[in-house]
Amino acid sequence: MNNQLAHFKQSAPLTLGVELELQLVSPRDFDLTRGATDLLGSIDYDGRFGEIKLEITESMIEVSTLPRATADGIAADLDGLRQTLLTECARNNIVVCGGGTHPFHSWPERRICPGERFDELYSRYGYLAKQFTVFGQHIHVGCTSADEAIWLTQALAPYMPIFIALSASSPFVDGVDSFFQSARLNAVSAFPLSGQCPELRDWAQFIEHFSFLQACGIVHGIKDLYWDIRPKPEFGTVEIRVCDTPLTIERATALAALAQSLAHYLLRTRPALATALYLHVARYNKFQACRYGFAAQLSDPLLQRQVPLQEVAQELFAVLAEDAEVLGCSRWIELLKESLVAKSTDAGWLKERQVLHQNLNDVVREAGMRFSSLTGMNLKGSP
Amino acid sequence: MLTDIFSPLRASWEALQERLFFLPPFPDQLDSLALFSLLLVVGLLVGEWLRAHFGWPKVIGYVLAGTLFGPSLLGWISIEALAQARPIADAALGLLMLEIGRRLDLRWLLHNRDLLRGTLGDVSLSFLAIFLFAYLVVGLTPAWAAAAAAVTMASAPAVVLLTVEEARAQGLVTERIILHTALGSAAAFIVFAVVLGVVHAQHSDDWLNALVHPLWVCLGALLLAWLAARLALLVGALLPKRSLAQVFILVASALLAVGVARMLAVPVFLTLFLMGAMLAFRDEQRTLSYTTLPDGHWLLAIILFVVVGASLPWQDFTWLNGVQAIGLLLVRALAKVTALAWVGGSLPLAKRLMVGIGIQPLSATAVFMAYELAGLYPEIGRSALALPLLAAAIMDIVGPALCRYALIQSGETVEDGDRAKGGIA
Repeated sequence: MNNQLAHFKQSAPLTLGVELELQLVSPRDFDLTRGATDLLGSIDYDGRFGEIKLEITESMIEVSTLPRATADGIAADLDGLRQTLLTECARNNIVVCGGGTHPFHSWPERRICPGERFDELYSRYGYLAKQFTVFGQHIHVGCTSADEAIWLTQALAPYMPIFIALSASSPFVDGVDSFFQSARLNAVSAFPLSGQCPELRDWAQFIEHFSFLQACGIVHGIKDLYWDIRPKPEFGTVEIRVCDTPLTIERATALAALAQSLAHYLLRTRPALATALYLHVARYNKFQACRYGFAAQLSDPLLQRQVPLQEVAQELFAVLAEDAEVLGCSRWIELLKESLVAKSTDAGWLKERQVLHQNLNDVVREAGMRFSSLTGMNLKGSP
Repeated sequence: MLTDIFSPLRASWEALQERLFFLPPFPDQLDSLALFSLLLVVGLLVGEWLRAHFGWPKVIGYVLAGTLFGPSLLGWISIEALAQARPIADAALGLLMLEIGRRLDLRWLLHNRDLLRGTLGDVSLSFLAIFLFAYLVVGLTPAWAAAAAAVTMASAPAVVLLTVEEARAQGLVTERIILHTALGSAAAFIVFAVVLGVVHAQHSDDWLNALVHPLWVCLGALLLAWLAARLALLVGALLPKRSLAQVFILVASALLAVGVARMLAVPVFLTLFLMGAMLAFRDEQRTLSYTTLPDGHWLLAIILFVVVGASLPWQDFTWLNGVQAIGLLLVRALAKVTALAWVGGSLPLAKRLMVGIGIQPLSATAVFMAYELAGLYPEIGRSALALPLLAAAIMDIVGPALCRYALIQSGETVEDGDRAKGGIA
């Protein structure tokens, strides 16, 4: 069995961690640039807010917070990481920005970062590795036990379309409007091990499933599972992986707060799971959320009918109010609620800017300004 | 040589003319378009062959083709043909200078003082080292030693841009090579203008020329650059950003500036560099910021480097001035690498060294600057500037290879990384 799975690290319950994959763009034309390795090599940073790491191509950089008990802690870490990165990028004439895809970069121009793991991915997946220059937010929620992590992985699954719609920030691909709110997940879907976690009883059954995949030669490590949500034994967390990197750290924090409140609610109420049923509609619902965002129609396998995502999300926010209160993150949830009511998303904002400027270079320029400036607590999309 | 080959043909033609009255006189000169196409084909073939067989930058092939077929060796490209091709070479150099001017990013210097220190170190050390070498070792007069330093102190923007483009390089080292090249060129142009006055002062009793010529060059270039940049921005603003029409406007404005600069004897390279810089600083609405030169500029660049190769004074080569030129290049290289390694900051030392190596090229701008200066007092200037011209001749061949080496060693080219890692297991 893989060593990573031998021991599930116990975490304090519901602690949070956030990883953001960010774009490195040139201030000359706002196309993606290369230079992550040298940038990282020149950063003088003591790790007080978390880590700054390489991602698969030289045009990406990943920041990850320390484990924090509250969303406010995450916000502080993300702000510290952002300032550190902005300072160093300014010294190297690079602009950092959020967004799930770069609207017009050319993927063959991307360069794989040095490193054994990246080389191995490029060797295994060929051009898909370069096309994987897409930018996501991963949210970790701490679990007290491995069995709890498996339960939560399945309990959170039906809510993934809501996370997708709230974080959607990738409407443009290859210089054209994809008509998707989140086109980024289409790049992820190309990988053979993407998708959903199967129905699992407990950690022992997960080990059994993993060992089976390993014996079939499909996986080597937990990182090979590109599931929408997956357990992360070395951190002692479940990891939500469906979100686009938002254009602001405020939205990224709010999404983390939503994950924490939802996990709190689920663990508090322990609803009966219908994983097998939800697996039938998971891909459809995910497509709906990616394609239409807040206007998606979700399939409810229990009621056997379609329900508007916006309605489901509104109900969820109402249900989570009490849990958010307990966790001290109501104001973050409130921001998401406002954005839902106003139907304002980062994807919508990007499209508006495109209509205004009629060119995507200026859209990325403004996205960079938006990421670097303190936008306050407003997620409604005003620049 | 070509006259010998064509004399039987001429005789036959003239014999035919007696009977076929519609025949024009035997053409003494190649038509400009035919010349353009021949230079293009010759440069292209040699460039591609060297690239395919030895992996050398194509620019080296273009220069070698010019050298081989130029007046110094085979003589197939005559001095008249060179003069005929000069407008195309000026247009090519102008467009590349426009591009390097647009890359002059002074805002970056505000965020990174190490770069400013590196550039100041490069400019001052390079000028001083070359001046002292030319004055003390070679024995040029102070004015011509300063002229030699002005001509050779900066890197070659055209070579650097084309080498970067050819290698599809991108990254922190590449960006620094481009920035230091642009800043070094700006400094060299200022020194060049001052040196114009100094040369006049040394060789003429008429102080008016010593004062007015540098002003003519600087203010003329500034005014032309400003007018051409304004024109490009005004018309460009009426068109969609990044549209083909904007590309045409940018190129047309640049060619207008080239033409007028040639008419007024204002250096083309300076005018277009300033135009590029103004477009970079004055384009608040980013009207033309995203508009790039068409790929066709490679066609013009081939002609440019064939012409540069043919203009190199290999016939003046002696072992003594050959050694002196190598000496100049060595002190220049040392000055550049030392300056950037010492005060270049913010990158690891190995990468700073690569920046120093990447800015070694010396080519078209230096050759054209040298001929501008030499043209003032031809009887003295040509011999006095043999040293920088020979240095440029050597670096025309070595420089692109050094620049490419620096880009590859920095790991910033796409192809080399991919070749090593690619493939599907």
